[in-house]
Amino acid sequence: MKKFLQYSVLCFAAALILAPFIYAIIISLETVEETLTYPPVLWPSSFAAASYGKTLETAPLFSFIANSFVVSFLVMAGQLATCSLAAYAFVFLKFPGRKIWFMVFLSTMMIPWEATVIPNYFTVRSLGWLDTYQGLAVPFMASAFGTFLLRQHFRSLPQEIYEAARMDGCGRIRFFLTMVLPLSKPILMTLAVYAFLTTYNQYMWPLLITNTDNMRTVQIGLAMLQWDQGISWNTTMAGIVMVSLPTILLLLFGQKQLVRGLTSGSTKG
Amino acid sequence: MQKKRVFPLGQGVLYLLPSLLLFGMFVFYPLLDSVKLSLSYVDLMGEAAGYAGWQYYREMLSSAQFWHSLGATLLFAVYTVFPGMFLSLVLACLANWKLRGIGIFRTLFAFPLSIAVAGASMIFMMLFNPSTGVLDYFLQLFPLPAVFWLSDPNWALFSIAIIAIWRSLGFNTIVLLSGLQSIPEPLYESAHVDGASPWRIFKDITLPMLSPTLFFVFIVSVINALQTFGEINILTQGGPVDATNVMVYAIYRDAFFNQNYSYASAESIVLFLLILGLTTLEFWAMERKVFYR
Amino acid sequence: MKKLWYRWTAVLLLGCLLAASVGCGGQKEAAGGDGKPVKIVFWYAVGGKVGDATKELVDEFNAQHPDIQVEAVFQGDYDTAVNKLKQAIPSKSTPNVMQVYDIGTRFMIDSKAVVPVQKWIDAEKFDVSKYEKNILAYYTVDDKLYSMPFNTSTPILYYNKTMFKEAGLDPENPPKTFDEVAADADKLTQRDASGKVTRPGMALAIYGWFFEQFLAEQNSFYADNGNGRDGMAQKAAFVSPQGERILDWWADMVKKGSTANMGRKTADTQKAFVAGQTAMTIDSTGVLGDVMDGVNGKFAVGTAYLPHPADAKDGGVIIGGASLWMLAGHSDAEEKASWEFIKFMTAAKQQAKWHIRTGYFPVTQEAYDDPSLKEYEAKYPQFKLAIEQLHNTPVNHSTQGALLGVFTQARQEIEGAIEQVLNGQADTHDALQKAADKIDSAIERYNQSVKK
Repeated sequence: MKKFLQYSVLCFAAALILAPFIYAIIISLETVEETLTYPPVLWPSSFAAASYGKTLETAPLFSFIANSFVVSFLVMAGQLATCSLAAYAFVFLKFPGRKIWFMVFLSTMMIPWEATVIPNYFTVRSLGWLDTYQGLAVPFMASAFGTFLLRQHFRSLPQEIYEAARMDGCGRIRFFLTMVLPLSKPILMTLAVYAFLTTYNQYMWPLLITNTDNMRTVQIGLAMLQWDQGISWNTTMAGIVMVSLPTILLLLFGQKQLVRGLTSGSTKG
Repeated sequence: MQKKRVFPLGQGVLYLLPSLLLFGMFVFYPLLDSVKLSLSYVDLMGEAAGYAGWQYYREMLSSAQFWHSLGATLLFAVYTVFPGMFLSLVLACLANWKLRGIGIFRTLFAFPLSIAVAGASMIFMMLFNPSTGVLDYFLQLFPLPAVFWLSDPNWALFSIAIIAIWRSLGFNTIVLLSGLQSIPEPLYESAHVDGASPWRIFKDITLPMLSPTLFFVFIVSVINALQTFGEINILTQGGPVDATNVMVYAIYRDAFFNQNYSYASAESIVLFLLILGLTTLEFWAMERKVFYR
Repeated sequence: MKKLWYRWTAVLLLGCLLAASVGCGGQKEAAGGDGKPVKIVFWYAVGGKVGDATKELVDEFNAQHPDIQVEAVFQGDYDTAVNKLKQAIPSKSTPNVMQVYDIGTRFMIDSKAVVPVQKWIDAEKFDVSKYEKNILAYYTVDDKLYSMPFNTSTPILYYNKTMFKEAGLDPENPPKTFDEVAADADKLTQRDASGKVTRPGMALAIYGWFFEQFLAEQNSFYADNGNGRDGMAQKAAFVSPQGERILDWWADMVKKGSTANMGRKTADTQKAFVAGQTAMTIDSTGVLGDVMDGVNGKFAVGTAYLPHPADAKDGGVIIGGASLWMLAGHSDAEEKASWEFIKFMTAAKQQAKWHIRTGYFPVTQEAYDDPSLKEYEAKYPQFKLAIEQLHNTPVNHSTQGALLGVFTQARQEIEGAIEQVLNGQADTHDALQKAADKIDSAIERYNQSVKK
């Protein structure tokens, strides 16, 4: 009985969270008229998938998705490297001005992007990085957010580990690579997923620095589907569903890893 | 044993170097540029043309719109941070139940993370639609009065907050969940042996052990709330009657539409200082209370 | 396993650096002369089906012109595209041809980065007499045609004939004046027993463009110096009896409940109209196709002229949309190719197709001779009225539309003013005055920055 209650609560919460997206899927399968009826049609009559075909005609979504994957992957790898190094230093190394350096890091999160986007455009341009993967990825390879996330996690690692490592005479780098990182797999996974998804979902920066369809990323494709004056909801929603599909799959995969990483670990080392 | 002790600063900074280089190039250099712009006149293309002094800062501080924007920004943070944290904490606790198939629910709870701002905004635009939106449809079934979600100045900021909360729910839940999971099981077991009530266990074990994570989520939520832009840009453009004209949106309009780069730069600097001050304050007030092992 | 992961990252980072060093080379090649096609870049700023139609026209052009290769690049919406241009001008990476919205005209001229198409019209003695004069008038500044009109539309009144009949109104006699609209909207409004509105007679989006149109209907100016047509505008001019009358009329209907305030998005009012949630709306001619597809025979759709106050004289509608600009700083061969491209895009055959696919007006009257267009007109007789409305509009400074460097901001301020009035937070005069003050200082700043 208790289990049944628990599952009911879980299902209810999940339904609430998913509802907007499920509705988007339903709309994407409706005909134009159905999307424009009142009371709203909550179940499409024919499951017309035509809107998906139309969507693909309007924007080369697949190649855009591929580009987004490359860029997101680069950013993810970069952030994992830079953030874990920095977070390690903030937690395990005692150096003067540590707190201030950390605030310096954090402060990078607080600068409105409007203030940085134009100078960055010129920087990337002078590097000859317009229309390249590195132009899309490199500016985002460091992240205060990621550093902060990892720092919080590292700080809750048992202190004994550090002491044990020191007694072994374990070098700092080795300690970092063989002890800290393996113990932090779940949180690294979380950061990886987050870094990937936020990069995947970028719009303004890719639009600004790319000029050819073979460098464009997926959110630009979504913008190509929209036409302000007369929104055809079904194609727009089809676009959103298609663009979100890869990230949903990634989340499924990443989440599984995350859970698995948690069950092994911790006490061993 | 540790001969590197001699250069502690160098050691530490070495690890920070990759990040610092990138930040220097893509964050601090542009910031300096903004400072310069905020003190200059600019030409049509947005390039500095002559020193203007503090003129734009004075203009800003004496403008009613600036103070209104500031108020809206802070109000928005209140609307999103606390409900958002509360909901994701509840979800994380639910997802921490030890049940068969719980992994599926964890994934479902993390779901909003995978939807981009643009996509989420478009979906909610449909839900909020004033004539045929489903939300109003359900309200009227009950029967409650229909709400003009985005065109009523009393509702708009709140409606935008709903989207922002929904979007942040996924990530916050995962992070809190991973925090919950790293609480050692023996702590709970001994509490159960002592016969402590669930509420006591939550208050005396879960909350303190979770405090580093909660602290993280809080800081990040505040910063994100103060910089929410996408939803507003797509759905309300700062309206109605400036109800959703939060600072980042005002900056965006001034920089990219109103061709008032200097003023926008001044606003950016002030917003930056505001968030910096607020975060420092939060650190000062709260990190001492955070329980690190 | 873990080791593998590190190695991967390292390889990736290395690869990234390599790509960086390779990516620098080969940007622009000298064009023309050697038998290779001249390559030109075209930026466009429309999505959805309009973007599709644009791409299709470009493909057609490329197929028919082996010596010219046009690369069409989508640059976000109109605003974003103009912002991107602002970065491109100082870094000398402008496109050859760009689609810019109507209200960007003043900025484009002041950017000094454009070649007026008049240069090529004069050089080739190109005949523009068949182009719509009202449309050309908008883009003509100081007697020079600066850019070639491409997609143009005007606002019209859409109404639900079936609801008109039900309400005892003549479906063939739509309201023409402000008062008639208000009266009909009242009759078309449905209320429940408690008097609460269940279906408003009209839904009107808070869109600054409509305000500009209602002013032009009254032959009244938006900005001084002849709407910015006799010289750079110095001040907003809409704080006038004409301007106030628009808001009074609008606010009055909203207060009565006969007109719904659904926010700034025309997509929302359009949806309400198509779903039968309201009987009238005002929208661009460009959405007629969408409306007809959405309604799909559920009710009869009527269209009518944009309403105006009963005593308004010599007014009409302003054309909206976008035009094609030629940017400076490119080789002669490229400029010539750009001109060929622009001519192609605005020629009769293409415009006929464009009209059918998107609902925008053909910019040249020759397009109406096209058989496919005749067929389309027979299918959508509602459109005829829109063309009549355009042809019945006298060309003068108010119907030419204002030229204003800060038009995007002005529109935003007006929309804010309308919202204040509709929400009862300010009276008409104060709200307009406040908007005007802000626009005045923005104009002053703009004019200053142009002088430098």
